[in-house]
Amino acid sequence: MTAVLAVCVTVLVTVSVYLMLSRELKSIAMGVFLLGHGAHLAIIAMSGSPILPDGSLRRPPILGGEHLVDPLPQALILTAIVINFAVMGFLLTLLITTARGTGTLNVDELATRDTSRPSREMGGGEPVEGDPS
Amino acid sequence: MTTNLLGLFIVIPLATSVASVALVRRPGPQRILGVLSLGSMLALAVTWLLEVRDGDILVTQLGGWPAPYGITLVFDSLSGLLLCAALVVALACYVHGFSSLDPHAERRYYHPLLQMLMLGITQSFLTGDLFNLFVAFEIMLMASYGLLSIGRSRRQMTQAYKYLVLNLVASTVFVIAAGLVYGMMGTLNIADLARIVAGHTAAGTPLPDGFTGLSVLLLIVFGVKGAFFPLWFWLPDTYHTCPVPIAALFSGLLTKVGVYAVLRTFPLVFAAGDAGDVVLPVIAVSAAATMLLGVLGAVSQHQVRRILAIHVISQVGYMVLGVALMTTAALAGALYYMIQHMVVKSSLLLCCGVMEHHAGSDDLDRIGGLHRRDRLLGAGFFVAALSLAGLPPLSGFFGKAVLIRDAWSTHWWLAAAALLTGLLTLVSMLKIWTQGFWLPAAAPVTPRPRPGGLTGAYTGIFVLVALAVLLGLAAQPVYDVATQAAAQLIDPSAYIEAVGPRSITRLAGGG
Repeated sequence: MTAVLAVCVTVLVTVSVYLMLSRELKSIAMGVFLLGHGAHLAIIAMSGSPILPDGSLRRPPILGGEHLVDPLPQALILTAIVINFAVMGFLLTLLITTARGTGTLNVDELATRDTSRPSREMGGGEPVEGDPS
Repeated sequence: MTTNLLGLFIVIPLATSVASVALVRRPGPQRILGVLSLGSMLALAVTWLLEVRDGDILVTQLGGWPAPYGITLVFDSLSGLLLCAALVVALACYVHGFSSLDPHAERRYYHPLLQMLMLGITQSFLTGDLFNLFVAFEIMLMASYGLLSIGRSRRQMTQAYKYLVLNLVASTVFVIAAGLVYGMMGTLNIADLARIVAGHTAAGTPLPDGFTGLSVLLLIVFGVKGAFFPLWFWLPDTYHTCPVPIAALFSGLLTKVGVYAVLRTFPLVFAAGDAGDVVLPVIAVSAAATMLLGVLGAVSQHQVRRILAIHVISQVGYMVLGVALMTTAALAGALYYMIQHMVVKSSLLLCCGVMEHHAGSDDLDRIGGLHRRDRLLGAGFFVAALSLAGLPPLSGFFGKAVLIRDAWSTHWWLAAAALLTGLLTLVSMLKIWTQGFWLPAAAPVTPRPRPGGLTGAYTGIFVLVALAVLLGLAAQPVYDVATQAAAQLIDPSAYIEAVGPRSITRLAGGG
């Protein structure tokens, strides 16, 4: 069971690193979210395997089990998920605002526009060389 | 000593924040509420600091759950000193904001966000639980993301991403590290961790496999938050884009929370045994590089705000230096240096706000002659700048003197780097002073007046400058408390006893 989790975590982290290396802010955001999921799965593994050495499953006492899975990591993950969710909301809002204000979500384009036109409003300065718009 | 009142540091800012949201269209009542909230927290912090200065430790077990089951809040000399400094700085920056903040920005939930930021910061200083430290970091960071994008100018928006994404990645690594700590040690309570580690050290048994890896992982996390070399690259671009009171607050407080986390967890837990042999040299090299590269970056800049922002990095190096040496005197020096740096750095950035008010810009090639225009500001800036550079009898000197004296006998190269950094700091501070205040301006300057007058701005600046001078003149009493805080870090028995974690048997093995 732990091995399955380990594989899942590896895949999630690999994909998220690949996405975060992109020049597109959307992909970077997706990468950050996936990294969060990877982290949460990694903590799940700390609960211990749900399968006991004799092959039976750990169950809560209400289902007649005697051995519990350690519940604390799950409480930790629950907290982390809520926080991740809030941050995700903020990041997406920031993405939408940026896209509306600048018309692009490409890091390079944002950087060149930024230096060429320091004014805060659109259409303030004159078009400058290297500005793709 | 057990008390329930430490919860007030959660209740007060949270309640103020909620009330401020309800009053969002009316800045006046929000300001009064904000000052009341910060002021009352400061009063509480000072009262309790006086109570714990003899080595007592105040502990609140939230919900009445004994450690390590519940979340523990701990108020010892270390937390107390930092809490007081942080609240004074916050109050000064807040009052400064009354006159320098754009009214439009102020209506954009500035007041509630600031209270939430303070909630996160006080929690980080008080919490005795590694996972709760993560939660406190997140509260602080969420509020800082909001404050950073206030006003929504283009430059702010693009710089916000850098800060946001880097901190998100660091937080995720923190979650993983916290999970691993739990998997390895079966607890997240810092006192309980310290007890287990001390037990291993006393019995001579090795720590669990992978403990060193955990230490390094946490060092990376706190390094990003505290802007250590080589993880500081997010800082220079971020701090100079936002409004002045917010920039002053950030540069005074945010990196210190990262340094505090190192100061709290490494001597107690994560620098024990083999882990210390790996981590401490890394911290030492990082401290030297942070100091030198930071100050070199600052010397090459021409905008006041950028210079000051990059100086934050260089001075984080001094604090990290104290952790690298890991002696009582060095930790006390680092703690004293942290407090005075919070005060001085924020006052310099607040001065920079008034400079921009007078000259319309903070570019040293364009401004000048400010001393003739505003002697009061010139005097305030001069004192704060010399204090930052560490000239006696100002406060910066005492922090540096202790650190360098302690470093000289064991790591002479660290002491040399610290001395060179001090010299270069003086050079860059004098550069601002000469070109900004002393020499006449190259071109006629255009003032950028603010609507609210300058009373609040001067109040904020001079409270902090006076405190910087006072910290220098009354260095001994502050040092006594700092030394005691450091002694409690080196010998954690008092801390462990005060929190009183029970030993627990884990429900389930690792798996």
